Amino acid sequence: MMKKFKIILLAALLGAGYSCSKSSGSTPPPGPPGPPPPPQDTVYDETGCLFTSYNNLVMAGYQGWFAAEGDASERGWYHYRNGSCGGFMPGCASVDFWPDMTEYTKKYPSPFTLPNGANAPLYSPYDEESVDLHFKWMKDYGIDGVFMQRFVVEVKNENAKGKRHFNKVLENALKAAKKYSRAICVMYDLSGCTSADVAYVEKDWAELQQLFSLFDNKTHPTYLRHKKKPLVVIWGVGFNDNRKYTIADADALVGKLKGSNNRVSVMLGVPYYWRSLRNDTENSQALHTLIKKTDIIMPWAVGRYSSANYNTVAGGELAADIQWSKTNKVDYVPLVFPGFSWGNLKNNAADYNSIPRLKGEFLWKQVAGAKMSGATSLYVAMFDEIDEGTSIFKCARQSEVPLNGAKQFVGIEDDLQTDHYLWLTGQAGKWFHGEGGFSAALPVR
Amino acid sequence: MKTLRYILLAGVMTLAAACEKDNFDGPTAGLSGRIIDADTKLLVEQDIIRGTTIEITEHGYDPVKPQVLVVKTDGTYENSLLFENTYSVKPMRGNFVDVPSQDIQIKGKTVLDFSVTPYLRVQDLRVEKVGNLVVATFKLQQNVAGNVVKIGIYADKDQRVGEPMRLGQKEQDINAPADPNTTYRLEYNPDEFKTQMPLGKEYWFRVGALISIGEAKFNYAAPIKLAI
Repeated sequence: MMKKFKIILLAALLGAGYSCSKSSGSTPPPGPPGPPPPPQDTVYDETGCLFTSYNNLVMAGYQGWFAAEGDASERGWYHYRNGSCGGFMPGCASVDFWPDMTEYTKKYPSPFTLPNGANAPLYSPYDEESVDLHFKWMKDYGIDGVFMQRFVVEVKNENAKGKRHFNKVLENALKAAKKYSRAICVMYDLSGCTSADVAYVEKDWAELQQLFSLFDNKTHPTYLRHKKKPLVVIWGVGFNDNRKYTIADADALVGKLKGSNNRVSVMLGVPYYWRSLRNDTENSQALHTLIKKTDIIMPWAVGRYSSANYNTVAGGELAADIQWSKTNKVDYVPLVFPGFSWGNLKNNAADYNSIPRLKGEFLWKQVAGAKMSGATSLYVAMFDEIDEGTSIFKCARQSEVPLNGAKQFVGIEDDLQTDHYLWLTGQAGKWFHGEGGFSAALPVR
Repeated sequence: MKTLRYILLAGVMTLAAACEKDNFDGPTAGLSGRIIDADTKLLVEQDIIRGTTIEITEHGYDPVKPQVLVVKTDGTYENSLLFENTYSVKPMRGNFVDVPSQDIQIKGKTVLDFSVTPYLRVQDLRVEKVGNLVVATFKLQQNVAGNVVKIGIYADKDQRVGEPMRLGQKEQDINAPADPNTTYRLEYNPDEFKTQMPLGKEYWFRVGALISIGEAKFNYAAPIKLAI
């Protein structure tokens, strides 16, 4: 018994000695390595960059998806034609508005004739000179620049002609943007994508950066930057229209584009009712989680209201959206559009002028509504979208549009000039640049 | 007789047992706060009738009907009889941009202020006697998309005067967005209301404007006391 007690006592003393060893003054053994320092944000040289923030800018979306029979794209009347009625001929087209072709230097005769019997030509954005003219107009009318739409399903490797088309149009636009000092930014449209297509954006985006030296401040001093980084847009996240990709797919993509060192700023194109997760929006908090990881959100407002109910709809959403965004430290850009018409695309006469332009009253109501609600920049849908009749560029007046068999084309109101919506968008630009003298009253030209 | 006594005794005992106090404590917590203009830091003036309310929904019960607090005309609110618990709190049908619901722990006297953007701000207000009239001049700042439905000056003996609680008024339909460059002018004629508000006394006047958004309430300047 005594022996056992001695052994226990010895063990206790040894234990106590060991536990006191730290106070002996000897150098402690090195501990395990600490966590690595957090990765630093990527730093870009913005010397000479003309657009270092989207704030105070008025920019439009640029489809650039048209092709003309005979141009080098070899895509025929792409996006002018309508497959549902047999192509591009009187009585069958996908466009409602017709471009005012007066100033284009490269034109292609079309299957349509004007009321005076002459051929009604068209342009192709595959041609450098036509895109140059568009950017010249932007400068002439004070529109800050455009977001180049890049439809993911059209630029996949298996769609060689599509990819070549959009790369050529982007090349034309980058050159013109530099020439006319207009802001330019790449905007991916996820419409029609699968999950794999969404993941493909990372690869395409890397290719574009390499192909065009996109982030080189000397090569592209007008590429849009935001929060000290180049901006890229991912459009079409959170819509509840049974898309084949998920919010999680988009979240993963945003994570890859930004990387651990926050390589880019991201603008996310979301449905109109994104904040309350209802109507056009998937009821998933994952959308808000993703939005908080991005830098700007731009809700899609086309078709969500007309002039008649704009105040009712936007009055309840816009200012509250902006307030939510401020609270969550995400910038917010509202969308405005001049009107809507897709009777030919849908082969339905009821869809002509379904959201009337009202000589600009509708567009200006949204501009003023955005301004009053606290917006600091605008996204105008769109510069050249004549399939859905939201274009602001020069289009033929109603009495000047080509004949269209038993159907019709929609024109700019006859008592307006063909550049009226370019001019009016330019007025919005002046207001958002800080010029005085503007109010909810429609500017008089 | 003896049987009757037993029956009465049993009845009294049953009643006594039924009247025994339960073991639950009464409500000891309370919630109060202010509706504050995010820019001016002033309280956002309200209507006492059909004005802004705050819905508080106690957690842990399903289904549970929200309690409704009426915000006072000066933009403050209070309920001092709540049980300690977690609640969802949300202003409803207000005169400011929608704010999201907040989940808070109400314990003791809890204070929760809301920083909001009013739909409209009545600015540079002057209310003065000009001859026999009370003339109000002011500007409007609009902070949301929409039309100003109407503007008005309202008069009452009570300081809580507003569009739904007034003895006299002068209103003007606008039906257009506020023009920041316009000085709006309303002329109130006391003679028209002297039956209910005899001349030679002091009354409260408050100027307000209504935006065209769904369930929006009037936005006001602070009330002013004036002798007429």
